[in-house]
Amino acid sequence: MSEIPLPHSAKRVVPWWLLRHETMLALILLVALIVLGYLNNRFLTLDNLLNQGRLTTEVGLIALPMTFIIITGGIDLSVGSIVGLCAILLGYSWKVFGFPLPLAICFSLLVGAAAGFLNGIVITRVKVPPLIMTIATLALYRGLAEGISQARSVRGYPEWFYFIGQDNLFGVPAQLWLLLISIVVAAIVLDRTTFGRTLYAIGNNETAARFSGLPVDRVKLIIYTLSGFMAGLSACVLVSRVTTTRSDMGMGYELDVIAAVVLGGTSIFGGVGTIWGTVVGLAMIQLLKNGLALTGVKGDATIVVIGTVLILSTLVASSLQRRREGV
Amino acid sequence: MTTVTLAGAEVDLRRRLKVLASQEALLAIAVIGLAIAVGLYNPRFLAARNLSDVLLGNAYIAVAAVGMSMVIISGNIDISVGALIGVLATISGTLAVNGAPIVVAWLAALVVGILVMALQGVIIAYLRIPAIVVTLGMLSILKGGLISVTGGKWITDLPDSFHLADIELLGVLPFPVFLMILATILAALWMRYSASGRAIYAVGGNAEAARLCGISQPRTIVMVFALHGLFAGAAALLYATQLRVIQSTVPPNLELTIITASVVGGVSILGGVGTVVGSTLAAVLIAEIASALVFIDVSPYWIRAVQGVLILVTVIADILRRRRMAGA
Amino acid sequence: MKLGFAAAFLSATLLAGTASAADKRWDGADDLPVNPLACSAGEANAAPAAKPYDGGRPTNAADKAGKPITLVDVPKLIGIGYFNATSKGMQDAAKALGNVTVKTDGPTEAKIDEQIKFIDNYITSGVDGILFAANDPVAIAPVLKKALSKGIHVIGYDANSTPDAREWFVNQAEFNGIAKAMIDSMAKEAGEDKSFAIVTSTFTTPNQARWIAEMWAYAQKCHPKLKWLETVEAQEDNNLSFNQATTLINKHGDKLAGLFGMTSVATPASAEAVTKAKLCGKVAVVGLATPNAMKPYVNADCVKSVVLWNPVDLGYAATYVMRAVVDGSLKPGATSVDAGKLGKLNVVNGSEILLGSPFIFTKQNIKDFDF
Repeated sequence: MSEIPLPHSAKRVVPWWLLRHETMLALILLVALIVLGYLNNRFLTLDNLLNQGRLTTEVGLIALPMTFIIITGGIDLSVGSIVGLCAILLGYSWKVFGFPLPLAICFSLLVGAAAGFLNGIVITRVKVPPLIMTIATLALYRGLAEGISQARSVRGYPEWFYFIGQDNLFGVPAQLWLLLISIVVAAIVLDRTTFGRTLYAIGNNETAARFSGLPVDRVKLIIYTLSGFMAGLSACVLVSRVTTTRSDMGMGYELDVIAAVVLGGTSIFGGVGTIWGTVVGLAMIQLLKNGLALTGVKGDATIVVIGTVLILSTLVASSLQRRREGV
Repeated sequence: MTTVTLAGAEVDLRRRLKVLASQEALLAIAVIGLAIAVGLYNPRFLAARNLSDVLLGNAYIAVAAVGMSMVIISGNIDISVGALIGVLATISGTLAVNGAPIVVAWLAALVVGILVMALQGVIIAYLRIPAIVVTLGMLSILKGGLISVTGGKWITDLPDSFHLADIELLGVLPFPVFLMILATILAALWMRYSASGRAIYAVGGNAEAARLCGISQPRTIVMVFALHGLFAGAAALLYATQLRVIQSTVPPNLELTIITASVVGGVSILGGVGTVVGSTLAAVLIAEIASALVFIDVSPYWIRAVQGVLILVTVIADILRRRRMAGA
Repeated sequence: MKLGFAAAFLSATLLAGTASAADKRWDGADDLPVNPLACSAGEANAAPAAKPYDGGRPTNAADKAGKPITLVDVPKLIGIGYFNATSKGMQDAAKALGNVTVKTDGPTEAKIDEQIKFIDNYITSGVDGILFAANDPVAIAPVLKKALSKGIHVIGYDANSTPDAREWFVNQAEFNGIAKAMIDSMAKEAGEDKSFAIVTSTFTTPNQARWIAEMWAYAQKCHPKLKWLETVEAQEDNNLSFNQATTLINKHGDKLAGLFGMTSVATPASAEAVTKAKLCGKVAVVGLATPNAMKPYVNADCVKSVVLWNPVDLGYAATYVMRAVVDGSLKPGATSVDAGKLGKLNVVNGSEILLGSPFIFTKQNIKDFDF
C-alpha cells in the first residue's frame, strides 16, 4: 500500500502514512467506536459487529466494483435497479420458467452481468457519459423489474437457499465470507495487477492511457459488467436473507454505495482510491448508524449525523492531503 | 485540452451553442410529435385542458431543472435539490399557517434556498470538496433534519392567498407555466449574453482556460449554486402551493427527475455544454411521456420501463448527433 | 433520430396489448384468496370457521407481569400523519397504563430493507417488546422470528407479517369490511352503473393490494354493474397523486364518475384534482384518508365520505395488547382482550385482534377529529 510516491515537497512533520485518507478515516472510526462502545455496552460485542457485517454485505459487494469504476472517473447509478431486476428474475425464473434454483441463481447473475455489460458497451462504444447512461438504465432496469414481476412476489424457497443469507459458517455470517473474499480479491486486483494499474491510469488521464496502448475500452467494459454481476450477487444474498422478492428491492442502494466509496477517499474525479478506504467507509457508515441507534439516537437524527460526517471527514482528509502535498 | 486562446474559446463556445440549438429543436419536435401521435390514438390527449394540466403539474420540475442545468454546466452536480425543495415548501407553508404575511412566506423559501445552496457552493468552491460528496451529505442532513423538526406533521388549513400556483395571469395563463417560461427565457438570455453567464460555460468547459481569462472559478461556482437555490426556492413554491396540504417530507426521487430533465435536455454532465431551454423542453417531454403512457393504455406495470427506454433513446440520439456534428 | 423515437413509440404501443391480461383483479396483485362480505347488512355473513391460534411464541421471555416494560414501535416509515397518529395512541396508552415506555423509530421511507435494520438494532439493544407495521409480510419475518427467539414479545398492527413471525396482530378493520364500505359508498355516490378509476400507492404495497382485491371481489358479487376503468400508481407522493388523478379525469372525461384513493396521500390529492377540474358533484371521490387533510373537501361538499379507522385507537390497542401478553392475561386460545377505554376487543382469525368496523367520516362528524 505504499506505492503512492511521496511528493518531494512534503513537509515531514508527521509520518506521511498517518496523513493518508484511509488512515485518518480509520482513526476517526476507531475514536467513534470507542466513544459509542463506552456509551452502550451492547455495541462492541462480537455478536453485534458480526451481525452488522451481515446487514452491510449487500451494499458492500456492490461498493467494490463501484470503487473500480469511480477510480476510472466513471460512476454507476443503475446498481440499485440491477439488484431489483436480478431479485425479480431469480424468483421468476425459478417459479415461472421452472428452473432449478441453482440454475435460477446463475441466470440472475448472468442477467446482472448483462445489464452491466449493456451499460459498459454504450459507455465505451457510443461514448455516452457514464452518469447519463446509468441514470437512464436506473429507470429502465427498475421498470423491467416492475413489468416482469407484475407486482407479484415469489416466496417459499427451499431451506438450503437461506443458508447464505441467514446462517453462520465457522461462527461468522455466511454472506460475510463472501464479502471478505471479494474484498481480498478486489484489493489484490487493484493493488497488484496491471488491470488495477490501468484503472488508475484511466482515471488520471484517459487520453494518455489510450496513447500508452492500454486497453481502455476493454477494461471499462469489464468493470461495468463486473458491477452488474456483483449487483446480481448482492440480489441473491438479499433474497436469501429476506426470503422473498420484490421489484423495489435495492432501491436507493446507489447512494449508499457511493457514499461509502467517496467517504473512503476515492476521488469522484478519478485516479485516486483504494479498496481499504472503501471498506473503512462502509464500516464507518454501518457502525455509526448501529452505534447511534443503540445509544438511543433516532433514525432521522442518525441520517443527519451521517450526512455531516460525510462532509466533515472528507473535509478533514482533503485538507490534510493538501498539507501533505504542500499546496 | 490544449491551451485555448481567448478567441479560440469564443469560437468553441459559439460552435457548441449552435450544436445545442439543434438538441432543442429535436426535443421540440419530440414534444409536438408525441402529442400528435398520442392525439391520433386518443384525441382527448390534445384537449387544451389536458395539455395545460401536464404543464401545470410539472412546471416545478422544469424550474428546478433550470438551476440544475447551470450547476451541471459549471461542471458540478447537486443531489440535494429534491430534499431542499421539501424543506423549503415546509418552511414556506409553516410561516403561512402561522400568520406571517404571505409575501414573507414566499420570500422565505427563496432566501433560504439561496442561502443553503450558496453555503454548499462555498464548501465546494473554496474548501474544494467534490460537489457529489457535499450534496450527498446535505441530502441526508436535510431529509433527516426535516423529519426531526416537523415529525412529518402535514401542514393543512393553508390560507387561500398562499396558493401561488392557482393564480391565472390575464385569466388564462396559469402562474406555474408563466414562471417556467419566464425562468427559462431569463436564464437562457443571461447565460448567453452576459459575461457572468458565459463564465459558467468557461468554468465548466475548461477551468484552466477560464482562470487565464480572469474568471474567478470559486466565485462563479458560488454564484451558480446561489442561483440554483433561487430556482429551487421558486420550484418549492410551485410544489407547495399546488395542493391544499404540504406533506413536510422530502419528495421521493425528485432529484433524479430533475437531473434527468437536465441531461436529456442536452446538458453535458462533463460540464461546459448545454442550455436551459433544452432542459425545460426535456422536463416537458418527460411529463408528457408520463401522461401519454396512461392515455395510450400502456400497462401501468410497464410504464417505468417504457420511460427508461425513451430516455435512453433520447440520450443516445443526442450523443450520436453531437458526434456526427463534431466529425463533420 | 426520428426513427429511434418511432421505434420506441411502437414498442410502447405494443406493450399496451398486454395491459388487459393483468387486470383481472384491477390489480390487487397479491393473488391471495378473497372473501367478500354479504351485500346488505341484514344478511348474515358466513361465520368464518374458528381458527386455532397460529401466532408464534417468544422463547424464554422474562416474566415481567405487572412490571415496567420498554417497547419500541417500528412503523413502515416515520414522518407521515398516519403513523404519527398511531404513535400518539401508543403514548396515550403508555400514560394510561403507567408501567410502559414506548418509543417510535423507523425508516424515513417505506423500505423493507431499512425497516429490518431498525428492528435488528432494537433486538440488540434489548427491548421487552416490538410493535411493528410491516412493509412486506414475508421479508420482515426472519428478523421478527429472531426477536421471538431472543425472548422479545412481538405484536403487529396496521400491516401484518406471516402469522408465525409474531404473537398477535391488531387488525384495524378487516380487508373485506373496508372493501365493502368503499364500494358501497361509491355505488351510492357515483351510481350503480357508473365507471370509476383507482389511484393507489404501488401495486406491491400489501395492504393496498389486499383492499383492491377485496373491492374487486365485493363489486363482482354485489355491484356487478359498477365498471372499473383503470388503476394507476402514484407512490406516496402528493404531487404525483394529483397529476395521476388529473390525467385520469382528462383521459376518461364524462365516463369517469368516481375515483378511489387508496392511501391517505392519494385521496386528498384526488379530491384536489376533482376540485381543480370543477367536477365536484360529478366525480365522486371515495377513499382512505386522515380527517385533517380531507376537511376542506368534505366541508365544500366535494367529498361525501372518507373511510378510515381511528389510527390513534389502533396504536392504543396495540400497546394494550402488548401489555396483556406480557402480563399473561392474553394467551393463545383467548377470545377477547381488554383494551382500556376501547373496552373488550375480539380475537378473530386465530391470532388477530379486531379493532372494529371501519369508520366513515362525513361532514357531520369530521370536525370532531384532529389528526
